[in-house]
Amino acid sequence: MTESVIRNKPGMASVKDMPILQDGPPPGGFAPVRYARRIPNKGPSAMAIFLAAFGAFSYGMYEVGKGNKIRRALKEEKFAARRAILPVLQAEEDERFVKEWKKYLEYEAEVMKDVPGWKVGENVYNSGRWMPPATGELRPEVW
Amino acid sequence: MADVVDAAGEPIPTSSVLMAAAKHIEINCMPENVEFLKCKKKDPNPEKCLDKGRQATRCALGLLKDLYQRCKEPMEGYVGCMYYHTNEFDLCRKQQQAFEKACPLE
Repeated sequence: MTESVIRNKPGMASVKDMPILQDGPPPGGFAPVRYARRIPNKGPSAMAIFLAAFGAFSYGMYEVGKGNKIRRALKEEKFAARRAILPVLQAEEDERFVKEWKKYLEYEAEVMKDVPGWKVGENVYNSGRWMPPATGELRPEVW
Repeated sequence: MADVVDAAGEPIPTSSVLMAAAKHIEINCMPENVEFLKCKKKDPNPEKCLDKGRQATRCALGLLKDLYQRCKEPMEGYVGCMYYHTNEFDLCRKQQQAFEKACPLE
């Protein structure tokens, strides 16, 4: 009943004459829809991109080299200072070592005084060079 | 602990004092140091190089005392900075400039 009320055309003889009510395209059709790809082909070429990357890399390595030069200069300064004060420190340690060594030699002489044939004093290697005593401890009172 | 001299006026050769004065020691005490190193290279026995070692120490300590007398304030500032930053030269540039302006490296 409602269909004939909605789609009524005045002067129709039967239900079969009702005008067609459809959901359809507007008159003239829809506007055309673009579905084709349009990726632009402009912009830097491959060689340009490669040269730009290479340029950035070279500039970065150049800055790295500059920084390395500065760091090497700083390290050189530190090592030169250490080299300059090395004799003072070594001389101090030599004095301390000689004192301790003399005490040790006296102790060795006293301990081994009854052993025949013990060449008291030095009993180190045969090469003729001086080697530091191999007790496993550099300074027993410290560590 | 960042003192250059003790109560009697003798220089204390701590690491910060020695590193602060290292450039001066390098220039002024070069002959004694080189002699000591040559002696050591010839014979590493400590008993053989004691006298040269004493010369090197005397030169260095005398130089420290002389530097302290000539420019006390900049040297104390530089030594204090070195002590604070554990002998890092790059962190004490200001005090280093002041010290080298007062006692130039010649």
